Amino acid sequence: MKTLELRDIAVHFGRLQALDGLDLALRGGRVTLLAGPNGSGKSTLIRVLLGLVRPNRGRIVVDGNEVHVDGALKERLGYLPESVAFSEALTGREVLSFFARARGVARARIAATLERVGLIKAADRPVRDYSRGMRQRLGLGIAILSTPELLVLDEPSGGLDQDGLAVLWSILDEWRAAGRIVLMASHEIALLETRVDEVCLLASGRRVADGTPAALRRLAALPLRIQMRLDQNGHAADAKALLFSMRRARPEAEIVEHDAEVEIEIAQSELLPLLDIGARHPGALRDLRVQEPPFDEVYRRLIDTAKETR
Amino acid sequence: MMRVARALCLLELRERTRDRWVLVISALFALLASAVGLYGRSAEGNAAALTGPSLVTLASLFVPLVALALGYDAIVGERERNTLGLLLSLPVSRGEVVLAKFAGRGIALTIAVLLGLGAAMLAAAEGEARTLAMLIGPTLLLGLSFVAIGMLVSTLASRQSVAASLVVVIWFLFAFFYDLGLLGLLVATDGDVPQWLIAALVVANPAGLYRIQLMTALSGTETLSDVGLASALPGPGVTAAIWTAWILGPLAASAAALSLRRAFR
Repeated sequence: MKTLELRDIAVHFGRLQALDGLDLALRGGRVTLLAGPNGSGKSTLIRVLLGLVRPNRGRIVVDGNEVHVDGALKERLGYLPESVAFSEALTGREVLSFFARARGVARARIAATLERVGLIKAADRPVRDYSRGMRQRLGLGIAILSTPELLVLDEPSGGLDQDGLAVLWSILDEWRAAGRIVLMASHEIALLETRVDEVCLLASGRRVADGTPAALRRLAALPLRIQMRLDQNGHAADAKALLFSMRRARPEAEIVEHDAEVEIEIAQSELLPLLDIGARHPGALRDLRVQEPPFDEVYRRLIDTAKETR
Repeated sequence: MMRVARALCLLELRERTRDRWVLVISALFALLASAVGLYGRSAEGNAAALTGPSLVTLASLFVPLVALALGYDAIVGERERNTLGLLLSLPVSRGEVVLAKFAGRGIALTIAVLLGLGAAMLAAAEGEARTLAMLIGPTLLLGLSFVAIGMLVSTLASRQSVAASLVVVIWFLFAFFYDLGLLGLLVATDGDVPQWLIAALVVANPAGLYRIQLMTALSGTETLSDVGLASALPGPGVTAAIWTAWILGPLAASAAALSLRRAFR
């Protein structure tokens, strides 16, 4: 499976428009993140893809051919639902054994998968004794058990500790390297920014923005925060001259000074000119840090802009 | 696709045999059934007349209870654990999910019934075991029909607690209130109800059909004639049709409800 496209998908439940003519293209070797506020349509879109919701309109196209969500497509996918809780009477190994049987996976894969998600030692304990993170790892194990071409993960980082997250990152890397498709839905966008290739932002069942995380940063055009430490002892004159030059170059900017610490917010396009000013006052700066806004601020800006323009 | 259904059936059987409620009710049934067997053994010469009907009464109360406990969380439990979507994302149809779950739970019920009746047969007087063996078939049919009813409730209920409450109501309704209702009807009308109608109403309840069928098998039709229900006993074809309807009807309705549902969590 090289490409999977959802075209013009519309879903409404009575008066509620859950998805409103949405298009989404997924490509092999790319990890795509669906993000958006509650009720934006992320989970509904995933359920359409899994055949759990019948859309009122739209098509699913795999490698250029229109398909229906049937047994053949389901054989090729792995799914982790949000906040999954398995039957408490069963052990982790028994749960995984069921899915191995159901998917026709060799028994040897069960132990390998338990090892992969870090549950091999807890494999024979009942699921009722598992923490939330362990259940999530078990869910991840089920999703990857058959090495599916399409991996669909709904809130995959929920409850995972650092080790669990490392497992998740390694799975994403493996699927990307193998040229398979990964689709995730999550609210933890700041955590996932550096782990995904594409982000699709949804609001009220519509696509607000999509592209690489860097492209979304550019689209949001949030200011950069520059923190500088001036050398006011050895190069006090240079430091004063630097501040003067900066104020003259950006008269509208608020420059906050705390002794030798200076903070200023600038547009991304102003970064190079500012660095140029700094270079013209050698010795004035002891250090300089450029802080990009957190990705959730980028998300908030794009969602708010979309709300304002509707 | 059968691969998923087979795996699901095995999983269901494994899970149900660990269900505490099912285990407790089944153990209680086996205990009481063996007590009935021992009681019959003590009543020398009158054992057959005591053990069989007493076991029928006991089974008509306990077996629907075990069966409903087996069926009520089949679908709604998956929905609450957020695993229904995961299950339906496997290459399996919704109808197959219903059938596989029914098969797994039906096998668990069969084990419970065989253990209970087996305990009674072991405890009963010599030579009576063959008579009691007649109970096995109808008791299984009674149980399977209530597993199917429980599964229908499970498909329609929004929450597991709602399904649990509903099956308790259903149990009281079929095991106690149905017969009381018929008696009330007779009293209210001063007996002016056609006998065929009363007979039809008796066998329309699976617990009623079970009792009528086994009373006839154990004691002949005289007892039914004494209470004016001689015409209540349908022929084998109609009996089979009623059992089939009580088992397949709720299952078909359950599969249809699941298939017609447009959206799953």
